Amino acid sequence: MSTIEIRKLTKQFGAFTAVRDADLKVDAGEVVCLLGPSGCGKTTTLRMIAGLERATEGDIIIAGQRMNELTPQKRDIAMVFQFYALYPALSVGQNIGMPLHYEGLSKADADARVMKVAKILHLDEVLDRMPGQVSEGEKQRIAVARAIVRDPNCFLFDEPLSRLDVELRHSMRGQIKEVLQGLSKATVIVTHDQLEALTMANRIAIMKDGVIEQVGTPHDVFAKPANVFVASFIGTPQMNLVEADLRSFGDGMASVVLAGQEVALGVDPAVSRLKPSKVTVGIRPRAFTVSQDKARDTIEAQAELIEPMGAETLIHARTGLGSDIRVVVPREKRVKVGEAMHLRPDPRQTHVFGEDGRAVRA
Amino acid sequence: MNAPTATASPPPLTRIAPDNWKLAILVGVLVSLVAVLAAPAAVSFWIVGAMAALIAAAFAINAYRRKYYGGLLVAPAIAVLFVMNIFPLLWSLGLSFFAYQSNQQSIRFVGLANYVKVLTSELTATANWLALINTAIFVIFTVAAQMIVGFLLAMLFAKQFPLRKYLLILVLTPMMLSVVASGVFFTYYYDPTFGILSYVVNSLTGEQFVLMSTKLGAVTGIVFADAWMWSPFVMLLVLAGLVSVPKYLYEAAAIDRVSKWRQFWTITFPYIRGLLMLALLFRTIEAFKLADLVILLTKGGNDTMTISYHLIRIANEQNKTSEGAAISYIMLFMVIVLTNLYLYLANRRSQGA
Amino acid sequence: MSGKVSILEALGFRKASGVGEAGWGRTLAAAIISFIYFLPVLFIIFTAIKPQDVALSVPPTLSPTSLFGLIPDQFVFTPTLENFGSVFERSMTVGGAPEPTGFDRYFFNSIVIASSSVLLALVIGTLAAFGFSRYPLKGNDTYLFIILTTRMLPAIVVIIPVILMFRAVGLSGSYTGIILLYTAFNLAFTIWMMKSFFDELSLDVEDAARIDGSSDVRVFFKIALPQVIAGLAATFVFGLILTWNEFLFALLLSGPDTRTVPVAMNQAVSSGGRGTDWTLLAAIETLFLIPVFLVTFFLQNHLLRGVTFGTVKR
Repeated sequence: MSTIEIRKLTKQFGAFTAVRDADLKVDAGEVVCLLGPSGCGKTTTLRMIAGLERATEGDIIIAGQRMNELTPQKRDIAMVFQFYALYPALSVGQNIGMPLHYEGLSKADADARVMKVAKILHLDEVLDRMPGQVSEGEKQRIAVARAIVRDPNCFLFDEPLSRLDVELRHSMRGQIKEVLQGLSKATVIVTHDQLEALTMANRIAIMKDGVIEQVGTPHDVFAKPANVFVASFIGTPQMNLVEADLRSFGDGMASVVLAGQEVALGVDPAVSRLKPSKVTVGIRPRAFTVSQDKARDTIEAQAELIEPMGAETLIHARTGLGSDIRVVVPREKRVKVGEAMHLRPDPRQTHVFGEDGRAVRA
Repeated sequence: MNAPTATASPPPLTRIAPDNWKLAILVGVLVSLVAVLAAPAAVSFWIVGAMAALIAAAFAINAYRRKYYGGLLVAPAIAVLFVMNIFPLLWSLGLSFFAYQSNQQSIRFVGLANYVKVLTSELTATANWLALINTAIFVIFTVAAQMIVGFLLAMLFAKQFPLRKYLLILVLTPMMLSVVASGVFFTYYYDPTFGILSYVVNSLTGEQFVLMSTKLGAVTGIVFADAWMWSPFVMLLVLAGLVSVPKYLYEAAAIDRVSKWRQFWTITFPYIRGLLMLALLFRTIEAFKLADLVILLTKGGNDTMTISYHLIRIANEQNKTSEGAAISYIMLFMVIVLTNLYLYLANRRSQGA
Repeated sequence: MSGKVSILEALGFRKASGVGEAGWGRTLAAAIISFIYFLPVLFIIFTAIKPQDVALSVPPTLSPTSLFGLIPDQFVFTPTLENFGSVFERSMTVGGAPEPTGFDRYFFNSIVIASSSVLLALVIGTLAAFGFSRYPLKGNDTYLFIILTTRMLPAIVVIIPVILMFRAVGLSGSYTGIILLYTAFNLAFTIWMMKSFFDELSLDVEDAARIDGSSDVRVFFKIALPQVIAGLAATFVFGLILTWNEFLFALLLSGPDTRTVPVAMNQAVSSGGRGTDWTLLAAIETLFLIPVFLVTFFLQNHLLRGVTFGTVKR
């Protein structure tokens, strides 16, 4: 079975801990994205799975076998590098065929395999060119072709699309997803682009400072962020995170003091377990409805900056105490600068994070 | 764009102007030629020097007027090279057509007689040809030894490992030694009575070991010493190539399960090919100049005379200046042919890839 | 988990990660090979601190210390610093009073001649390289090839006319003559090396500086030059190594006042009819090695980057 599992994986560079106690399991046919800001340890994790870095502690299990001590050659994996790592002295066809030498195929068989993947990735026209003579998008596809030309235990991608322009990136996302769906291999993709992760992955592992903060489906990490970091990292525009004092809880409504205003918020029932304390309230910009009148469950703010984004409009609103709240409203909703706004959060999309930063959720 | 924009076309050849460098070159070369041919050396040197200065000044003024910085920047280098390299070369080329000995005053034009003499005369040609054959032997063996040893050393140091910096400088030290000292010490190492080599062999076989008594031994001894001194040079060049290979290529190769052998030929070798060729070129040229080690180790005995040493003897000790010049030019011709052959082969290979 | 870490690893001896980096095993192999390679040099250095009477002893004395009994006594000598003194002052006749040998002067000559010619070549050559790189002339490549050819020429081809020329104009035996000659000799190399460095720089930065109002002179000194420090260092080391030990030109062209150490060393060991004075030669060479060794060591990091000049560009 093509699976990847890492248990308590830790990597130290001298005194610096790049990855700490990372746990992750990738099933056959599943695509997991390691997502995080640069320097969070996601590439190091990938390189440890590949065998390019030694794990300081923990286990790397590929296809049910512990592989910590094995060299990359013995792990039977395929990887697409950030800078593609095309062999500059070999033609495109030779580049794609490189992994086949190990299997000792006859030349005819190897050529046929190369041709097959070249067709899939629309590279059959450029097989005789050198890597220096093809476009950036083609280089990317060559790197993918080289990975799928054989039948490895699993696939690893290191920032595969970061060097492409927006349009190419969009089309390549679709192509890679399509190719991977037909292969039923465990796949790990490292990226810092959340859109890439959300569109390509079955599950997303979000990393920060060497620690995996949350693993979940794209829906889960967006709808149920485990903590303040995940909440702030996933979703554009960024989720509003406002510090507040939790006063009391009753009838599924929490009474909080938020930016100087006492507001009754519809929240998860689990909040009832909290004692009155400092919390962080998270509300996505799209989770507000703009009400006509002031009410107990509205937040009062003044529109300060208006950014039309096409179908929607982003409004930066400021509360009396100066907190900035981002609100996205449909294009038809006209708001003027300086206008008073009564913002009613959607109770199902209002997140409460305790003092430790963790989401309070049933 | 960085290229200077020429605001005016260069002046016509015939106009007399301080920035007419074409005219300056014409006048300079003509006057120099006349001076070299007609005036005594002491005078002609200064005339040629003045002409070089004139040409340089014309270039400089021309360059300055047209904001033509290329010429301005290059001029001092060209001037120094002209006076110290190119002019002496032309001088000795001229000299090779005359009969001239530096300890005598007489000089007369003999055409190609010097060339005919050094190549065919029964008295001198044999020694020249022998020296040439010996030089060829030394070129082949010293260059081969340096390339192999240097390459292996470079492979040893290619990867980063603890203390690499300190071990590398140890290997580089032989290159920094003065040839005089290392040459003389090699005579000690090879000495049949006191030498270390002899002592080691003696304690193993019980017999005294005399390395330099045969031609084979003498050549081996010289080749060994030369290879020891200059392999680090090859190593540095190859190492520079090896460390310039992006690490991710090796990582990709490891993932793709490419064998070490194939990794070398498909990734490493293309990166170091240019530098290997450069090392080969430089070392071949240097091997042609091999003289000092021979002087120190064998004084040309046991049939180890090289063409460079032979040349020093003819030109400096026997004062046969123009004969030496003729040999120099035959040698120069051979070096140029050989280096161009290398370059031709190198270019053909890199185009074929 | 930590039970799986071997003792060596626990002591900080990392295992190789397999790609790009080797571990202490490689260090050991490299140490052995480097040591063997270094042995002839080490022997020279040891000879420099040997008492004169054991210099030619059989069996040869190999070490100033028995290394805690590892080396048998017959190979061990008692170190002395006397030889270094006699480099500068020693008696020229048997039993005579010590006289100065003039080696302080020769060391001074070597330092002046080598450093000034290498630096001069660096200045002139770097300017020319910048010119060739940024303001290509018509037939740029031809000029460059001709310049490279001067480096390709066997020195011997140039030397006869140079001797004659120097004799004719009274430059033989002068600092000016030999410094100029060495400068020319280093130029080709300097130009090629520095040009490849300038070629690699991004032109955008220089153009940006021009747009911001910097003069061309300022662009060269403030923008281009600071980016090629590594190249300057590497060029300097290579030039220095070659010039420092140059023998043939120095032998034929330097006079009594401008004699360099290699020439004087040759005379010191081969004159007097007493055969080679091994300890003296070793002491001279050891002293002579120190400056160039130190320079190389401190500029070593630039060396590898520096020699990629002239590589095939794609």
